[in-house]
Amino acid sequence: MTGKDIVKITLNLVIVYLIGGLILSLVYAKAAPQIYKNNEETEKKALKELMPDADSVEKMGEWEPHEKPAKYFVAKKNGQVIGYIVQSFGKGYSSFINTFIAVDTNFTVEKIKVLSHNETPGLGDGIEEPWFQAQFKGKTLDHLKVIKGETKDDIQALSGATISSRAVTEDAVKHGVEFLMKTIKDGSKGGEKANVQPQHG
Amino acid sequence: MSSHSTVSLKDQVLNGIIKENTIFKLALSLCPSIAVTNSLKNGIFMGGAVLFVQVMVNTTISLMRNVIHPKVRLPIFMLVISGWVTVTQMLMAALAPEVNAKVGLYIALIVAFASILARAEMFASKNSLLPSMADGLGMGIGFLFALTTISFFRELVGKGSLTVPTGLATDHVFTFINTKPVLLMILPAGGFFAVGILMAGFNWINARAAAKAAAKTAPAAH
Repeated sequence: MTGKDIVKITLNLVIVYLIGGLILSLVYAKAAPQIYKNNEETEKKALKELMPDADSVEKMGEWEPHEKPAKYFVAKKNGQVIGYIVQSFGKGYSSFINTFIAVDTNFTVEKIKVLSHNETPGLGDGIEEPWFQAQFKGKTLDHLKVIKGETKDDIQALSGATISSRAVTEDAVKHGVEFLMKTIKDGSKGGEKANVQPQHG
Repeated sequence: MSSHSTVSLKDQVLNGIIKENTIFKLALSLCPSIAVTNSLKNGIFMGGAVLFVQVMVNTTISLMRNVIHPKVRLPIFMLVISGWVTVTQMLMAALAPEVNAKVGLYIALIVAFASILARAEMFASKNSLLPSMADGLGMGIGFLFALTTISFFRELVGKGSLTVPTGLATDHVFTFINTKPVLLMILPAGGFFAVGILMAGFNWINARAAAKAAAKTAPAAH
């Protein structure tokens, strides 16, 4: 390899890097605000759906289920607290299931919504089904467990997707509610980071 | 024009769609074609992303072909490919967030698609701009066509519905049967079946067309 080759190779790579970097940063500059807005919108829509009666939903702070950043919110109507919403993650079959859970002031589950996940299409993605999520309404902490087969008191597992059902119920929702109970009852309101880690399994 | 390719632009496009169809003929890039094709919408978007990347990569490489040093050509191809894939990823996240949530993971994988690197190395780096763009267009459309047929078939048979995109962020779901008639088809294993069945169909049609063409020319020759 001659000196000329070395110069040419170096120039080749430097120029490709420079032009590539330039194009990427231009596209990023255009796309990033829109991506941020999309995420915000999905979250806002979820909060509205979970607490349709509330006239304001304010962020209270953050916590870290499975070392992932998650938020929790307080829902108010005419200045009165009517419930809380917590974001939680459940370790599923092939992904962490990002779930929002709304509870009333007695920490009874009102509604849940699965925001994103990567479970098996056709089986695990049944956690998106309305009938599955509707089961959570009115459940207290003791009844957040998965039963295979029909049940009215607890949560009925999706057939063929017990792991995903468990992840939502016994991991995401249960730990989310537990966290809320602990945090709100301790009175540690505000943006403080709480140190509750969900147990695995 | 010091063109390496002697065929017309139209034939160059058709080559990628029929003669060298990435999935049905070369059996390359099967991973995404199985992973994302459980709904028509996802299949179309994935195919569209590959089409975009293939055309952009071929165009870029063709423009650069005379200045690339042969010793670093592969790293440069990879840089160009990953650059365009990242652009696609960002555009997708911005314009079609819902699809991105489902397909996004596989968009990143386009970097490792054998078909894209192969076209850059075998075609675009040796041919001038227009044939390279035509080649990229053909390969891309061929891939889009394959993914669309596979996902159409899988969603229809597996779920009894069709999710037709009506815009970047909107779609319409046509439900024909409200149960899941052949659940297997939308599971990963069903992807292999679908690809296999459609590949057989594609080749059968092609073989028949070739036989017909041969029959037509044979009497004329005598």
